[in-house]
Amino acid sequence: MDMLWFDYGLPCLWAFLACIGFTFVFNIHGVGKLICGVGGALGWLVYLLAGSTILAAFLASAAIGLYAEVMARLRRCPVTGYLLVALLPLVPGGGIYYAMSYCVAGDTGRFLDTLLHTFGMAAALAVGAMLTSSLFRAAYLHLNHRKSAG
Amino acid sequence: MDYDKLLNCAVELGCRLMYSGAEIYRVEESISRLLQAYGLESPEVFAIPTCVIVSVTTPEGHPITRMRRIAAHGTDIELLERCNQLCRWLCAQRPTVEEARSLVRALTDYARQYAPWQVLMGYGIAPAFFSPLFGGGAADAVCALIGGLAVGLCLVYGRRLIGSNGFFRTAVCSALGSLVSLLLVRMGLGNSLDNVTISVLMVLVPGMALTNAMREIMAGDIISGLSRAAEAILTASAIAIGSTVGLAIGGAF
Repeated sequence: MDMLWFDYGLPCLWAFLACIGFTFVFNIHGVGKLICGVGGALGWLVYLLAGSTILAAFLASAAIGLYAEVMARLRRCPVTGYLLVALLPLVPGGGIYYAMSYCVAGDTGRFLDTLLHTFGMAAALAVGAMLTSSLFRAAYLHLNHRKSAG
Repeated sequence: MDYDKLLNCAVELGCRLMYSGAEIYRVEESISRLLQAYGLESPEVFAIPTCVIVSVTTPEGHPITRMRRIAAHGTDIELLERCNQLCRWLCAQRPTVEEARSLVRALTDYARQYAPWQVLMGYGIAPAFFSPLFGGGAADAVCALIGGLAVGLCLVYGRRLIGSNGFFRTAVCSALGSLVSLLLVRMGLGNSLDNVTISVLMVLVPGMALTNAMREIMAGDIISGLSRAAEAILTASAIAIGSTVGLAIGGAF
């Protein structure tokens, strides 16, 4: 039980709090703050459970995309804010930093390796969130259309 | 009806949306829905991140066009939500053009804003919690908090000093962030230099530009998507260059 808490519970709590910090920067008020924080924690949980690889980043951002769309529908607000803050913990800041430091040290092999990995992470994040977003939107339109027709 | 005033009002709303960081398709759709609600049949709207162009033809067949340049801007989700609400309400209720215009004007005054110290606190809190997220200890978290506050100070209060060039601003802030983290770790406060630096740089990382770029491309606005993607790559390089300079300056001591 303790292992579970330290491996998954605490990191998610940190992600939640870090996202709350970002809501001040992007001027998000009220319930929106909580939604962003929970989104960040959810994304990080999926990322950890799926094994912290590029595929895990893809799954995590897909989960965030779905979550943000549902929340935006419930609150009748633009989805951008929730999506963008919740994705922030997953953005490969470490990749940029390590790539830079290898480049300066002249270690071309590891530089290219890290750079490509960073690009992979960024692409996985972008595609994951957009894919579920588009799917959700298509499904939602379809359902709404049916409801109004029937 | 005074179509000149209506067009001005719609363009104002579009500009507010753009300044709050809305996607292109939302700006274009909001403007054209608003104009259609007031009886203009086929308004033409073209928006890219730096410019909005709206052209309408009045029922008498007289064409009117309005163009607005959009200066560099940040993200303001509260304003975005307000604009979105107002646009829906205007399309449904259709008050007089004068009333609509004063409502659009009042948007910026009524949207809640955090005080500068609260924004600064946000810049401190985020790195402080990113540090344990990336495996750092309590000492690293404190270092990241201080580094984040330094970057925040630079971003919130140093705008006049650094100017509005985004690339340069990011590079300066990232140099400052990495310099502060290096000094703090040298002084023995933090344990892992990499952890502290990465946590501090997370507040500058172009997550926003990256997400928006992909959203634009998926929505079919390729030009805007590419320009935002270029912005993301430029920001990332600015972070890399800045932190190198910061570490080099710190290393010289």
